[in-house]
This record gives sequence, structure tokens and C-alpha cells, in this order.
Amino acid sequence: MVTLRKMVLNLFGLALICTLLVLSGCKGGGQSKTLYIFNWTYYTPDSVIQKFEQEYGVKVVYDTFASNEEMFAKLKAGGANYDITFPSGDYVSIMIKEGMLEKIDKSKLKNFANIDPAVLAQCDFDPGNQYSVPYYLGAAGVAVDKTKVQSYDRSWSIFARKELANRMIMLDDMREVMGDALKYLGYSVNTTDQRQIDAARDLINNAWKPNLLKFDAEAFAKSFAAGEVWVAQGYAESIFAEVDKSKWNTVDFFIPKEGGPSYLDSMVILKGSKNKELALKFIDFIHRPEIYAEFCDYFGFPSTANIPARALKKGESWYRPEDLLNCELKKDVGADLEKYNAAWQAIRVGK
Amino acid sequence: MRKQVGLLYTLPQILWLVVFFAAPLCIIVMYSFLKKGLYGGVELQFSLEAYTAMANPNIVLVTWRTLKISIIATVLTLLIALPCGYSIARSKNQAIRLFLVIVPFWTNFLVRIYAWIAIMGNEGFLNDILRALRLTTESVQFLYNQAAVILVLVYMYLPYAILPLFSTIDKFDFTLLDAARDLGATRFQSYVRVLLPNIKGGLVTAGLFTFVPIFGAYAVPLLIGGKDSYMLGNIIADQLTKTRNWPLASSISMTVTVLTTGLVFLIAMRKPREQKQVFDADPAFLQVAPDGKR
Repeated sequence: MVTLRKMVLNLFGLALICTLLVLSGCKGGGQSKTLYIFNWTYYTPDSVIQKFEQEYGVKVVYDTFASNEEMFAKLKAGGANYDITFPSGDYVSIMIKEGMLEKIDKSKLKNFANIDPAVLAQCDFDPGNQYSVPYYLGAAGVAVDKTKVQSYDRSWSIFARKELANRMIMLDDMREVMGDALKYLGYSVNTTDQRQIDAARDLINNAWKPNLLKFDAEAFAKSFAAGEVWVAQGYAESIFAEVDKSKWNTVDFFIPKEGGPSYLDSMVILKGSKNKELALKFIDFIHRPEIYAEFCDYFGFPSTANIPARALKKGESWYRPEDLLNCELKKDVGADLEKYNAAWQAIRVGK
Repeated sequence: MRKQVGLLYTLPQILWLVVFFAAPLCIIVMYSFLKKGLYGGVELQFSLEAYTAMANPNIVLVTWRTLKISIIATVLTLLIALPCGYSIARSKNQAIRLFLVIVPFWTNFLVRIYAWIAIMGNEGFLNDILRALRLTTESVQFLYNQAAVILVLVYMYLPYAILPLFSTIDKFDFTLLDAARDLGATRFQSYVRVLLPNIKGGLVTAGLFTFVPIFGAYAVPLLIGGKDSYMLGNIIADQLTKTRNWPLASSISMTVTVLTTGLVFLIAMRKPREQKQVFDADPAFLQVAPDGKR
């Protein structure tokens, strides 16, 4: 009897494995009418996705990541069959170098003409936009709970205020936070000068970090919305997605006057995409003025990349395109990234 | 004939271990001895860089911190789990009590972490109560430090310690405690010198079940911890996803694996001897027993 029971158990185990194999087999083949998108958390409204699905009669699978590094590591590890992803400029150039991207046939993008030439001019990570189409130009800023903090300077120096100790939070993001400190000190966010990087590290370690509750790129918006912190460095769209609409007027979001690192996220088609045509249609769809305006309105973004969408926008924006004037686009610093790694590790590890 | 059937039976298990354990482990070992790729990944070139890079004082500091947090959390967990396991074993309604221990497993790990934030956060329930009682006007910051990390780790891994302790204590012959009392031991002495030596195996298992996962903790220090709570698990994740140093992530993982399996082996080697002495509680104690019969 015992052996019978064992056999049944083993059969059950075999059945489980077979099911897994069958299920994993299903994912790969068959349906070509599904577009796999790998995008940032909070970055394309559901309504836009739904409109695309309806118009083209397709299904969209939308997976998310929280940082360029995470996205890159996942794609690099292989196994993911995504069609489109949204890297920032520095990662576009890295992915081109690593041969991870398909060339984009711009003749099939009739809405490419809507993109602001000033934004295209910033695409020196991909001259001539052979591999990438700009999605959005923006920057992280600072959100302040005005009910708790009444007077403040719209500057990175807010993080040096000791009376706000443990009520402030910054992103757990090396290039962002280092970039803020570098800009505050008057340097480039892409510097490779060891002394400047050290100066930024010391500024963060000695003046800012003692007042921070923590570095957090996952839950900073939740912490801000819950009142855990009163000042948060981060992305406007994340902050306002978490803060209740009735409290929006108590939140001030600003891009500090010194500027900071800005990002230009682009849409790219991944090598090995099985739906290149559909992916191109999606990219073109995004730059339809009314769709781009809907996207911006949903997140409170200024329409930085698409010119005709500016007139169609109905809602307010959390900041204006001109607030980004002092910001500087993050670029790939290549092997010099090690200098940033070392500085950041010293900041994150130490007490 | 019989042999072949046995192999057939164990095949699914072997297959499972090879595909999901041995193969990934081999990949990690291999990566840890390769050169790092500029943009993540590895280059096929032998290098010991990942191991020499671990001598970095920052990593040494984090290793020390992780060890410290893990030991404190494990000891606290055992101290709480021991009376719990004992009371469940002696209870008349074991099933209900065991059920209560297992219930939290039905809620997702992350949800339970966020529940702690909702309770202990700066604007959490606990602070609301303190303010309502006028014990404080400002919020007390309970979270975002090492103590909070230890507290939540103890909470998370408590069931893993209670269950093995319960099953060992359940097998213990409680009349031995009465015998010890009859022989003149105090209640406390009977626990320490008769019960504890007999449930050593359960204590060791419980300790391992808590220490090993805590040593690799990632989410708790990330969400509950503050500036001082960066642990080895976080370094590994950051090396992999942020600083694009896969060999270093692999070499640190290897170190953690070797350290913990080394610990398990050390304890497992000692175990056969312990199992033989199930009954001899403590010879020295028996000698001083004031009954004269010995």
C-alpha cells in the first residue's frame, strides 16, 4: 500500500512538472497579436493602452521596472520576449553598443514630425534617432508637504536643514542623487573628475545624509503620501499617484533652481521582437497629439516632447518645460562609472 | 530490479534539484570567477577580481553588520519560540495553536512588512495612540533603524523556529521533568538540565531555519531599515541591478552560501553523537542529585 501511495505522489509530481513545461511552452509560440511592453512603473496610462488595443484589435502585456539598471539587467539576463522598452538616454547608447536594439524605420512613423526639434537635438546618445524615439523629457524634483514645511528655498539646500531631520527622503538612485549634489556644487552631472565626485560624495555624506530618513526608490511616494516624510526627492508622477487628490493643493513640487540630472526616456524596439510592425504602430500611436496630450494630462506632465499636444492639453502640469533649463541630461560615463559606484557605496554603507 | 524502481522514484526530485538548484549554483560559481562586463554581464575571462574586491572595507563592514543582526535576531527568535513551542506541545488543543502559528503565512510577506509600517510608522497607529494618550506630541520614530529591522525579522521567522521546536518538544517524555523534580531539582533546573539537553536537535534546527534566511535578508532591511541597515542581501541586489557588477554579486553570494552551508555541515557532523545521548541529561547533575541511590 505504501508503494502505491508513493507512486501516486510521484505521478502527481510528474504531472506538476509536465504542466509547468506545457505552460512555459505556451508563452513562447502561437499568438503574434500580443505586444509585450516593458515599461517604468506609472508611465503609460491604462486608457492609452486600451485605446491602442481596441483600435488595432490586439492584446498588450505591460510589465514594469523601477530603474534603468533593473530593466537592463533583466533584458541582459535574457529569456524575456519584450517588443518595446523605454530606456533613458544613457541606456539607449549602452543598448545600441551592446547590439540589443532594432533599427527603427522612421518612414513608417508619420507622427515623428510632431516631436520637438529641441528635444531631438538632445538625442546625442543616438544621433539621427536610428534606434530610438523620444517618449518624455523630464526630471526628478522635490515634493514638499506645505502643511508641515512653510518656508523653504527652492534649492537642493533644503536637504541640509537640520530641523527637518528624519522627515526627508531621497531616491536610492546613484546617478540621481550624485547628480543633484554635483549640480548644487556647480559641476556637470556627467563629470568624471574624481575631485568633483569626491566633493559631491562629501556634501551628501556630511550635509544631507544626516537629515535623511533613508534612501528609497521603491516606497518614497508612499512614505510621502502617508506623512512619514515631509520632503521627498523623486518623480512628480509617482508622488501625485500616491497622494490623495483632495490633498494635491498641499503639495509643492519643484525642480530646484540649480537644476539636476534630467532624463530623456525613449521608446526602442528590442532585437528579436516578434512584432516589429505592431511595435512601430504603438510608437506612432503615442505621438498622435491627442494621445500624447492624454498621456501628459494623466500624469500632470508638461508636454515636453510633442509640440501639437501642448495645445490639446487640458490639465495642469506639475512643472513647466522651462523649469528644466538648468537641468542636464544624464549620459553614459562608461568605465568611469566605477568612480560613482565607489562614492555611492561609501554613502549607502556607512552609518 | 528494485534498485531501478528506487531510482525512478527519486528521479523527479533529482531533476528538480539539478534544474533549480545545482545548475543556478554552478552559474553563480562560474560568474564569480569571470571578469565583469562594462555594462553588466560577464566577459569570458578568468579573474579573481570579484574576490579581491570583497576586501573593500565597506563590504567587510556590511558583512559584520549582517552577522551581528542575524545573530541577535536568531537568539531573540529562539528565546521567544522556546516557550511558545513548549506551551503548544503541552497544550490540550495543539491543533488550534499550531493553526494560529501558521495563519500569518497566508498573507503575503510584503503585505505583512507594509502592515508593520502602518502600525509603527511615524504616522502609524502606535503613534496615533501615543498622541491620543498625550504621552507624546511629536511622532516617535520606531522604524527605519536596525532595531526595527531586527524586530520585523524576528516576527517574520518566528514560525520557522516554533514549528521544529514544537515537534521536538512534543516527542519529549515529560515524566522526566517530574522525575527531576522528585530528585530534588527546582522547576528551573529541571528545564535547563533535563529539557534543554534533550531538545538540542530541535534548537539547532530552529536556529538554522532562522539564521540562514535572515543572513540573506533583503526586503526587510530595504523597507523597514534606514541609513544604517544596509545588509549583504542589499549589496548583492545593488551589485546586480545598479552598479552592474555581476561577478561581485556572485562572489558575495558564494561567500554567503559557503558560510551558511559550512555552518550547517559543522552542526550536522555533530548531530549523530547527540542523537545517541537522548537520555543522559547531564551526568554531573545526576551525581549531585541528593537521593543517594545513584
